[in-house]
Amino acid sequence: MNTKQLKQRIAFSIFGTMSFIVVAILVIILGFIVIRGMSAISWEFLTEMPKDGMTKGGIFPAIVGTGCLVLGSMVFAFPIGVLSGIYINEYLTESWLKKFLRMMTNNLAGVPSIVFGLFGMALFVNYLSFGDSIIAGSMTLGLLALPVVIRLTEEALKTVDDNLRLGSYALGATKIQTIQKVVIPIAFPNIMTGLILSIGRVSGETAPILFTVAAYFLPRLPHSLSDQVMALPYHLYVLATSGTNMEESRPMAYGTALVLVSIVLIINVSASLLRRRIQKKVKMN
Amino acid sequence: MTVIDNNIQQIRTDLVQMWTLVINQMEKARLALINGDKNLAREVRMNEKRVDAFELKLDMDSENVLMLKNPVAIDLRFILSVLKINYNLERIGDYANAIAKVAEHANGPMPEDILQPTHLPEMFFTAQSMLQESLYAFEKSDRNHVNVLFGMDEKLDKPNNNANVIISQLIKEKPDDTMLILEALSIMRKLERTGDHILNVAEELIFYFDAIVIKHSKIHKNQ
Amino acid sequence: MTQAEAKNVNVWYDSFQALKDISMTFEPNTVTALIGPSGCGKSTFLRLFNRMNDLIPLFRVEGLVTVNGQNVYSKDIRLDEMRKKVGMVFQKPNPFPKSIFENVAYGLRVNGISNRKEIEETVERSLKQAALWDEVKDSLKKSAMELSGGQQQRLCIARALAVQPKLILMDEPASALDPISTNRIEELIFELKKDYTIIIVTHNLQQAGRISDATAFFYLGELVEFNLTKKIFLNPDNERTQNYITGRFG
Repeated sequence: MNTKQLKQRIAFSIFGTMSFIVVAILVIILGFIVIRGMSAISWEFLTEMPKDGMTKGGIFPAIVGTGCLVLGSMVFAFPIGVLSGIYINEYLTESWLKKFLRMMTNNLAGVPSIVFGLFGMALFVNYLSFGDSIIAGSMTLGLLALPVVIRLTEEALKTVDDNLRLGSYALGATKIQTIQKVVIPIAFPNIMTGLILSIGRVSGETAPILFTVAAYFLPRLPHSLSDQVMALPYHLYVLATSGTNMEESRPMAYGTALVLVSIVLIINVSASLLRRRIQKKVKMN
Repeated sequence: MTVIDNNIQQIRTDLVQMWTLVINQMEKARLALINGDKNLAREVRMNEKRVDAFELKLDMDSENVLMLKNPVAIDLRFILSVLKINYNLERIGDYANAIAKVAEHANGPMPEDILQPTHLPEMFFTAQSMLQESLYAFEKSDRNHVNVLFGMDEKLDKPNNNANVIISQLIKEKPDDTMLILEALSIMRKLERTGDHILNVAEELIFYFDAIVIKHSKIHKNQ
Repeated sequence: MTQAEAKNVNVWYDSFQALKDISMTFEPNTVTALIGPSGCGKSTFLRLFNRMNDLIPLFRVEGLVTVNGQNVYSKDIRLDEMRKKVGMVFQKPNPFPKSIFENVAYGLRVNGISNRKEIEETVERSLKQAALWDEVKDSLKKSAMELSGGQQQRLCIARALAVQPKLILMDEPASALDPISTNRIEELIFELKKDYTIIIVTHNLQQAGRISDATAFFYLGELVEFNLTKKIFLNPDNERTQNYITGRFG
C-alpha cells in the first residue's frame, strides 16, 4: 500500500469514527432514557392525572398541555411565518430591505429561548393581561418558532426553479397566480417538512413556557385558552429538580422524558414520510 | 487559426499548384507543337496523370470540408468555387494533353504556313495569358483581373468563328496537308474551348469574391 | 403589417448598456434567428417582446417595442394580457410538475377560462399542433415530468400555443436536446411558421440556417447585421458577421 492510499484510509477512518460517535451518542441517550423510563410507562401513566405529590399516577395533563401549546403556537406561527417567507422570497428583489429582513430573522432565531419567555411574560401575560394561559404560552412559543418557519419557507421556495416562474408569467399568469398555482404546490412538501420540524422544536422547549403558561401541578384538563396547563418539558424539569419526593419521582421523570423524546421522534419521522408522500402527489397532480 | 483554416489553406495551395501545372502543360504543348519536340510532348502526356491526381485530391478534400466542417459564407463560397474551378482546370489540362498528342505523332514542327492563317500562335498566347491572369486574380483576390478575362476571350472567338472558311481555303491550297490542317482546326477548337473554361473559372471567382452569380448572364453572352 | 417591431431600442442593466440602438421588424409567418456570442444581448432583446426583462433588477429600456402594433412598454398596458399574446419557449424544458393536461390547460386557467369543454378542445388542438398528441393522448393524466426531454419541450410549445399567441419567442429551445429531438423541434418550428411569427435565439448556426428566413447577428449589444438567412450564410455584408459565422472570431 502506498502512502497516498494510506493517507486516504486514515482520513476516511477518522471521518467514519466521528460520524459513528454522533450516532453512538444518540443511541446512548435514547437507550439510557428507554431503560430508565420503560418501567414507568404504562397505560395509566399516559392517561391518568399525577397523584401523591407527582410520585404516582400519570402525566396525562402534561401531554394534553403540550399538545395544546404546540397546536396553539403553530396556529400563530404558521400563517405569519409562511406568509413572511413568501413575501421575502417572492416579492422582494435583492435590496437593503430584503437583507434587513433576513438579518432580523436570523437574529430572532439566535435569541435565547429564556429571553422569549421573559418577553412573552412582559407582553402577553402582563401588558395584554392574558395572564398565565394557553394563549400567552402559545404566542410565546409561536414567536420562537417564527424565524424557523420563515427560514424554512424561504428555503423551500428557493428550491423552486425560476424557469417555472418565468414559464408561468410567459403564459400570462399574474404573480399571485404563479405563486398560488406553481410555486406553492411545488414548495409545499418542503414547507410542510419545515413546519413539522419546527413543531418538534417547540414541543421540547421549557424556557418560553416557564413564565407564561406552565403549571407546576394542575391535575385537570384545561377548559379554555386562558387556562394554565402542565407541559411535558416543564413537568420533566419539575420532577427532576423540585418534586416533593425526588427519589420517588425519579422513574416518573424518566418516563416523562421517554414520552417527550418519543413524541419528537415520531414528529420527525412523520415529517419525512409526509414529505415523500406529498412530493409524489405533487408530481402526479 | 481555426480548424477549417488548415483545410482551406491546403486546398488553396493544391489548387495553385494544379493551376501552375496546367499553365506549364499548355506552354509545353505549344512548344512541342511548334518545334516538333516529341520528348516535350511525351513529358506533357506523362504529366497529365498529375493533373488528374490533383483533380481527385481537390475533389476529395473539398467534399470533406463540405461534409465535416459546415463551411459558411466565404468558406462555403471558396469550396463551391474550388469544386468547379478544379473541374475546368482539369478540362484545360485535357486539351493540353490532346495538343501534345498531336505533336507527338507529327513529323516535325507545325509548318509556318498553317500556323499563320489559323492564328494558332495568337490563340495560344491569348489562352495562356488568360490562364495566367485568372491565377493571378485568384491568388490576389483581384476583381479587376477577372473582368479583363471576359474581354480577352473575344480574341479567341474571332479566329474560331472564321475557322471553317480558313480551313477549307487552306485545304484547297494544300490538299496534301489535309490531315495536318484538320489537326490545326481541332487545336483551334480546343483553344477556344480553353477560353470558355477560363470564363467558367472567372465566373466562379466572381462568386467566390462577391457571391454574385453571373452564369448565363449578359456579360457571358456578348461574344 | 409587421408582427413585431423594435425601434431605436436601448437597454441598460444599471450602468451597463446591454442593447444599443436596435431597430428591427418581424414580418408575419417568418422565422427570425438571433445569433451572436454569449452576452451579446440577443436573449435580452428576445425578452423585450414579452417583458421578461422586467424581473431583472435595475433593468431600463428606451425606445419603442411593439407587438401587433401595440406598444409593449406603454404605461397603461396590462402585463398579463400582453404576455398572453406572446408565447415563450425556454432553453431548458420547464413543464410544471403537473399532469400533461394541466400543463397545457394552465395558460387558459390563469386567463380565466373555466369551460371544461373549451379547455379540453384547446388542449387537444395545441398538443396536435405541437406534434405531441399521438404520443400522449392516452396518458394526459400522467405527470409531465415523466416525458422525455424532447417531449417536454414540445409540451412547453403546446402550452405556449394554447393561449393563442401571434408571436412565439424561443430561447435556444433545442440546446438541451439530442439530435433526433432537435430535429423534431426544428420540423415543428417549420410547421408553426404557417400560423405564427417566430423569433428564435440559437447558438447553433446550422440550426439558424435550417429553420430561419432571416438572421440577425448581435455583437456587444449592437445589431451588426440583419438580413435574409441565405444572404448571411453565403455572403454577409459585414466582416464581423462573416468572422463570427465562419468561426474566425476575435
